[in-house]
This record gives sequence, C-alpha cells and structure tokens, in this order.
Amino acid sequence: MSKARNLWRVKLNTASIVLIPAAVAINYIGKLFAEALKLPLWLDSIGTIFAGIVGGPVLGALSGLINNIIYGLTLSPASAVYGIASIGIGVASGVLAHYGMVSKLWKVIVFGIIVALVSSIISVPLNYVYYGGQTGNIWGDAAFAFLNAHHVNVILSSFVDNILVDAPDKVVSAIVAFAVYRVLPKRLTILFDNSQETTTLD
Amino acid sequence: MTSISLYVDKKSIVHDVDFLTKLIYCCVFIVAPIITGAVILGTFSFLVSLILIISAGALKKLMPIAALSLFVLLSVIIIQSAFIQGYHDVLFTIGPVHFYREGLIHASSIVVRFLDILLAFSLIVLTTHPADMVETLQRKGLSHRIGYVILSVFQIIPQMAQTMKTISDAQRSRGLETEGNIFIRAKAFLPLIGPVVINSLIGTRERAMALEARAFSAEVKHTYFRDEPVYRYKTPVRLILLLLLIVSIAWRLL
Repeated sequence: MSKARNLWRVKLNTASIVLIPAAVAINYIGKLFAEALKLPLWLDSIGTIFAGIVGGPVLGALSGLINNIIYGLTLSPASAVYGIASIGIGVASGVLAHYGMVSKLWKVIVFGIIVALVSSIISVPLNYVYYGGQTGNIWGDAAFAFLNAHHVNVILSSFVDNILVDAPDKVVSAIVAFAVYRVLPKRLTILFDNSQETTTLD
Repeated sequence: MTSISLYVDKKSIVHDVDFLTKLIYCCVFIVAPIITGAVILGTFSFLVSLILIISAGALKKLMPIAALSLFVLLSVIIIQSAFIQGYHDVLFTIGPVHFYREGLIHASSIVVRFLDILLAFSLIVLTTHPADMVETLQRKGLSHRIGYVILSVFQIIPQMAQTMKTISDAQRSRGLETEGNIFIRAKAFLPLIGPVVINSLIGTRERAMALEARAFSAEVKHTYFRDEPVYRYKTPVRLILLLLLIVSIAWRLL
C-alpha cells in the first residue's frame, strides 16, 4: 500500500526541479550525437527515460512534457503536440522502474520495448492527424506503404510503421539511461528518491 | 553564448501583440479548418499566418523549420497518392507507379492541414520571447518552479553543447573512432554521451544548492524581472478571433 502511494507521490523540491532541465538537455544532446554519428535512430528520449527511472512517473512525465515544449520553441513548432507521447514515455519509465525493471540487461530491453509500445499507441492518432498515418522515417514508411498496398487497415499499418522505428530507438535509449544510472554516485540519485525521508537539500 | 530559441528580435505589429492573444489566434486558426473540414479555409488560414510571419520579418527563420518538414510532406504525397488501395482515377504514371487523383486530393488536404498547424505555431514562437511566454503564464498562475524549468533549459543546452564538443575531442584524442560503418558509429555513442550526461547530472546538485542559497523555495510573493507587456487592441482582436471560431462551428452545423 505504502509502495503504491510512493510511486505517484512527487516531491517538487529544488533537486527534482533541476533534474527536469538536465533531462531535457540530455534528450537534446542524445539527438545531436545521433545526428553527428549518422545513426538511424532519434535517441531523443534518454533524458525522459532517465528522469522516470530516478524520479518516478510524475517527474518523467514532466520531463517529457517540457521536452516537447522546448522542441516546439526551438526546433519545430508542430512537434510540441507529440508532448503527449513523451508524457507516456516518462510515465511508463517511472512505473516500470518502480517495479524493478531496471536491474538486469534483459529486463532493460523488455523495458525499452514496453516504453516503445506505449509511445506508439499514443503517437498513432497524432500521426494520423498530421501525416495521414506516416512517421517520416524511411524504413517505417516503407512498411506503411507495403502494408497499405496489401489491404491492411491504416491504423494497424500506422502502428507497425511506428513500432518498427520506436522499438530499437527506445531499447537503445533505455540501455544508455540504465548504464548512466548504474555509474552515478548514490549521493546524487538519492536526492530524487521519493521513498527517502532523510537526504534532501531543503 | 548562442541562443537556441527561434525568437526573432524585431519590432513589428505582430511582435506587439501579447502572448495570450497569439495563443488564441493559434488555437482558432488550427481548430476552425479542422472543424469545417474545408480545404479552402485551411489554405486561407495558412496564408494569413504566412503574411503575418512575413510582416514580422521572421521569414528567414521560418525557412529551416519548413525545410525540416518538406521531406516528410513529399513522402506523404507519394505514398498517399500511389500506394493506397481503392483509388481508380489514374492521373499520371511514372515507371511502374500509378498516381491516383483521389490520393493526390487526400494528400493535398493533409499537406494543407500540416502547414496550417506548423505556421500557426511558428507565428507564436518566432515573434514571442520565451521569457515573455513564461512570465505571462506565471501571472496566470503557473508555478514559478515550472517557469524556471522551462527558461533554464535555454541556458543548459548551449552549455551542454559546449561540453559535448570538449568530450568529443577528448575521446577522439584517446583514439575513439566516430566515423566508419554503422557498428563503429553505434559503438561510439555510449562513450560520447555517457560523460556528457554524467557531467550534467552531477551539475544538477550544484545548481540545486545555488538556487536554494538564493531562496528559490521561499514561500513569499515573487516579483517579476520584466514588465508586463500591454497590448492596446487586445479585446477587439480576441473578440474577432472568437467570432471566427463561432462562425466556423455554425458553418459545420448548417
């Protein structure tokens, strides 16, 4: 019972408040590196996943939301709407981390796939409104065109289009977030831990 | 330090309009074409936004945003007009691929809707300073903590981009390969992003202490650094916008 209460409780203290901009910046840097290395993934949700892992679902959701607001203000104004999908990513990461899904590598991979499922389910209606179901990624859109040509309905093809790109993306992001989480000093991660009553800054 | 915001710092009629009125404009000009479902209205609101952006002198900054979505729009047109089943009216053929008229009409309505949404948002973002947006929202009741979060990102990202450069150089000087086939490039990702991320997270502790030392969580009434911008024609402009929305709903119902 107390475990469930801790999951959704959030301490919006100064430590948590500064975690959110850091998470957003990590997302941004991940995207920059992915572009610099010409990787076929976005890798722009590492920070959101990380915030979900250390700070719980509410901080994860806030990071996701603010991430897309910032994208809207800096990169592409229309992408702000995908904030809803980012919120889903943050919440899913927080909940999964709470139930012990970030302890072993195979669990982290499953974690990434579940997060991808959540974000795809939310993205599909948005993609439908925006692009008639496509994602703008060559591989995903090729699958979309193939499925459409074989009489699969638009919603399902759009979902496949999305998950094909999202699953590897979120798995890699989750692994990076997990790797960082493991090596961070405890005195830092404990600041964001909701179940802790002792170490705080305020 | 370079700014990452898209804001264009100029003086114009559009810049004078307050953030809330622009927000209402944005909502009306996105929602009205969707409610009525008329492509004409979508094209009209797209053109209005475009003219307003040009008159604000922000066309130059709009170009990269538009270029970013050009590729997606192109693939939308190709896929919607050539690969969707159930169309019969062939318009033209390139090689083995038939392009259908119905598909092209559907694709053009998607493109118009997309451009309409893109330009309506761009208008706000290009002509309103981020700090003005945040302060307007704070005056309307947004928590100062959230306001801080949004504005601080604008400072943290350029800082981290700087760290990113330093770390890339450091890792390369240690012999990390960042070019070559996909596996080599993928392998370089963690050694590059790891230190940047850890660096920034360790920085959060210091940042939190610095904020606390300046009474960030003090329970008193906060004051604002900037004056509240006043827009003279706020009420008539907002009324006209609302009227437009009501007309479009009526159009749909009739």
